[in-house]
Amino acid sequence: MIKVANSEELEQLLNRLSQDYKIAAPVVKRKGRKERIEYEYIDSPGEITLERQPDSSPKKFFLPQNERMEVEVAGAPGTEDKQKTILFGVRSCDLEALKVLDDVFLDDNYIDAYYQQHRENIIIIGLSCSEGKPSCFCGTLGIDPVKNDSAPIFLYQRGDRYYFKVYDEEYAYLLEDLPEGDEGELAEIVEERAASFAENNFTLDLPVPLPEETTFSAPFWGDLAEKCLGCGVCTYYCPTCYCFGFFWEQGEKSRCWDSCMFASFTKHASGHNPRRSQDQRYRQRVMHKYSYHPENYGRLACTGCGRCLDNCPVNLDIRSVLKTVESYLQEKGGVKSG
Amino acid sequence: MENNYKKLTEEIRGFAFELLKDGKVDRVIGYGKEEYSGEVTPLFITAPDESNRLIFNSECSMLLAKYLLNYRESRVAIVAKPCDTRAIASYLAENLLKRENLVIIGINGCPGITGNTACIECTVRNPVIFDFTAGEAIDKAELSPRVANELEEMTAAERLAYFQEEFSRCIRCYACREACYVCYCEECFTDSNQPFWVGGSVKLKDNFTFHLMRSMHMAGRCINCGACEMACPEGIDVRALPAKLTRVARELYNYEAGMDPEQKTLLTDYDVNDPQPGFLD
Repeated sequence: MIKVANSEELEQLLNRLSQDYKIAAPVVKRKGRKERIEYEYIDSPGEITLERQPDSSPKKFFLPQNERMEVEVAGAPGTEDKQKTILFGVRSCDLEALKVLDDVFLDDNYIDAYYQQHRENIIIIGLSCSEGKPSCFCGTLGIDPVKNDSAPIFLYQRGDRYYFKVYDEEYAYLLEDLPEGDEGELAEIVEERAASFAENNFTLDLPVPLPEETTFSAPFWGDLAEKCLGCGVCTYYCPTCYCFGFFWEQGEKSRCWDSCMFASFTKHASGHNPRRSQDQRYRQRVMHKYSYHPENYGRLACTGCGRCLDNCPVNLDIRSVLKTVESYLQEKGGVKSG
Repeated sequence: MENNYKKLTEEIRGFAFELLKDGKVDRVIGYGKEEYSGEVTPLFITAPDESNRLIFNSECSMLLAKYLLNYRESRVAIVAKPCDTRAIASYLAENLLKRENLVIIGINGCPGITGNTACIECTVRNPVIFDFTAGEAIDKAELSPRVANELEEMTAAERLAYFQEEFSRCIRCYACREACYVCYCEECFTDSNQPFWVGGSVKLKDNFTFHLMRSMHMAGRCINCGACEMACPEGIDVRALPAKLTRVARELYNYEAGMDPEQKTLLTDYDVNDPQPGFLD
């Protein structure tokens, strides 16, 4: 089903929805000398900007940077927030990233009650990309920036026209005010955009998962990670990085994001650190995304959103790293992953 | 004399080529470009032929001096902006590096780095220590460093509000710490759990604790290079507090860190006549 609106109708829709839901969407935020676009709860639809990919992913809504663990018993999250949130304008890269988080936190063997609660409380309205930024490489990884059916509703904006493609009829009630639209018009937009994304100057021919032993023991990691400072920027901006640590303060326990880029991440109580140097830590990050997660869950843990390189203080580009891995594996004689 | 980047780049490449060709150094640390993004990035080269990958322009913001700590035992040449040379001088003063292992290619008459607000406060502009220089030196008499006074003019309550707003955005990625030449501790207080100094949350009080404690460690050591601010992905005014301490050290003790490798560090050089404002008064 397709529903259509112009910007005035969209505003009315969001105003009506905001009576029953909290609405979070990309907004422009002044951050000191930087102007950023971030997902935030909004007061009025006028704040929303769909102009470009937000600088941070919406990960924080599902895995807050600080989360208080009310009761230290598995399966018992704290005070339930009954009011649901509509998360508006999530692009393919971030929608695919949620699948990675789902793999881990909604694993058959262990369901994380906190994550599950956020996931159930948030209804996502996806957004089709009209153009990529220079650091985007989702297409290279097989992700379609134009359409994605993993959100129940997916939005296409063209000028003053907003087309909502409803993938899950269960949520069609959200758009009941809007008139139905023409499938043909939407197909045209999809086709147009697919053509504009067809040209891709970054191609990769990597076996997935990366063969663990060959890649792990490759000689290039020291050179590739030589400039890595060991800060947590790439992991904190990454839509799929989910590692956390625990902190206690006066009986209150909380979990906070942690990063495999930090030297202390793997430090044992004995003082021994199995990942002694930054190249070992950097290798871990790449291996986790391109070897271990695909091995365990059948899916890459990188969506090509490009935020790690947009925000890296030394502009370390994961694409160059992947290219080095590619040519090394090809040299090694077409090692195929097991 | 105006320096142009093309000329600086050519001169740097020439020095790097000769040094590597003659086997005087094992490695040159400089700036290059990332292949796909075209962004400026630290570049480490070991062969003379790679010299033509080196560049210098106004985007070369990273403080390369910190990488020297990874190569203490090998012979390294480094492309050093004036602030990098101050960091190197500090390292030498603290006996962290061996001068004989280092070849410093200093940038003369540094034009400043795009977006780095520290550059307008720069009092140096020419390298304080070097083996070679690229570009023309600037006459110090021509310099007119400007100190941002906005914060000084605020009331205490306004300043508190300002820093609350700034630090509320901190995501504790520690990019400022990792970019800073002073932050070379084997274990940062943020990573210590015995004693436990600061929680890992991004609550305002933990963020304040981190920035205040980090700043206090900068007293008499910060060279006001702006690397912390340039590294911060959230655009936080990370430099304000350490820069204030730098000014206090200058005003009270006429001390500036990293001006001379023979210099004693501020906190190890006590004189009975040193002013002690705030101490037992």
